[in-house]
Amino acid sequence: MNRWVLAAGACSEPWRLWTCHAVHFGLWNALLNLGALAVPFVLAPARLRGRMALVLLLVAPVLSLAILASLEGGAYRGASGLACSAWAMAGIALAWDRATRWEGVGLLALLAVKILAETYGKAIMPGGAGWVSLPAAHRWGAALGALAFPLLRVGRTVRATPR
Amino acid sequence: MAHARRLHAALGVFAALAILGHMGCMTPKTTTHRSGLMEYLYPARKDAPIPNPAGAQLQLPLRLGLAFVPSGGGGWRAADAIPAGTERPLLDIVKGAFKDKTWVSEIKVIPSTYLMPGGGFRNLDQVSRMYGVDVIALVSVDQIQYTDPKWYSFAYLSVVGAYVLPGEKNDTRTLIDAAIFHIPSRTFLLRAPGQSIVKGSSTPISLEARLREDAGKGLDLAMRELAKNMAVEVESFKTDVATGGRKDVDVVDQKGQSLRATGGRNFGGAFGGAEVLAGLALVAAAALRRRRS
Repeated sequence: MNRWVLAAGACSEPWRLWTCHAVHFGLWNALLNLGALAVPFVLAPARLRGRMALVLLLVAPVLSLAILASLEGGAYRGASGLACSAWAMAGIALAWDRATRWEGVGLLALLAVKILAETYGKAIMPGGAGWVSLPAAHRWGAALGALAFPLLRVGRTVRATPR
Repeated sequence: MAHARRLHAALGVFAALAILGHMGCMTPKTTTHRSGLMEYLYPARKDAPIPNPAGAQLQLPLRLGLAFVPSGGGGWRAADAIPAGTERPLLDIVKGAFKDKTWVSEIKVIPSTYLMPGGGFRNLDQVSRMYGVDVIALVSVDQIQYTDPKWYSFAYLSVVGAYVLPGEKNDTRTLIDAAIFHIPSRTFLLRAPGQSIVKGSSTPISLEARLREDAGKGLDLAMRELAKNMAVEVESFKTDVATGGRKDVDVVDQKGQSLRATGGRNFGGAFGGAEVLAGLALVAAAALRRRRS
């Protein structure tokens, strides 16, 4: 199927731009992605969590459209792209604050290792029966998360976490 | 007097021969270099091997062989089609197009001296065992060189003109075709073409050298186009297999997953267990750090 046909399909059923991240290939796939999505929310300061969730809602459809360009007629499921956005966004937010700098750097380093390993060592990509992992989703997710970081700071000054 | 007459007659004959000789330079000429895939694979038309009905199962990563099809005109070399010494550099162009592909583990350039004219799949079986390859790309060449005299080629009659005037218009057309076969199952997988046109001119004295130079340039350009087309055809082949368009072929990846079964179209976003554990370890370390401070 042509990718533009897919894009048109997404436009006729726009909710799919959000729901594709919630659909998974199995329980284990869903649990791992949920775990990955939880990590930045646990690490992020409580005052940023709500806004992070809101920004991820905005990132989700943009990420879906970006992934469409990499599918070559295929289908996509999984929240890991969105999790990568959250890792990048929370990583930068944490690194921005002196008190949590090392946590942010650690989160960003783990994300970088994941993306580099998938890009240059495809044999170690996670996957399952009947589907293969799509590294482009993670690259797009991380890039969009980094680009969306300023939205976390709109209308407020990020203060140092009280010790 | 009679002696002078004989001398004039001899000079006249010599001049006529010289003019005829130069006229030879002034006629169009066609040179063909050809190596045919069909003559090599199926020399006895009625006895062509039937592909394995079970089809081909390609186990990734592939061990791929690259070779020029030998010319059918006797001898073991593709010397008629490919100048000696240029075979490997030309095949290296195609090899370069595949070197970064994760689905190819090794690419072997096989000298055409190991391929017998009309050798067919029995010959390929020998080569396959010798080089440890299971898939081979057979490259055949069809090159035609046209030489046409330009309007001022009559100036060759001055003899000096044949040395200094580039009155020969050369046109070298090259068509290269690479067909990839799975040797054990005798299955044709895909093909890709490459073509080029090289135009030039030369003096009749340097004609042969110029034609050889143009032939080499034409082969090089056509091989580069072939390498590009091959990459496109491979992608199209993968899509065909994944969508069930090629029922005679299946591709099994490093994880043992069949491309036909997965459809090659089901993509998922996933975090591995180790990645989630590393994230949770970071959470634990952050919690400890915050508790201490």
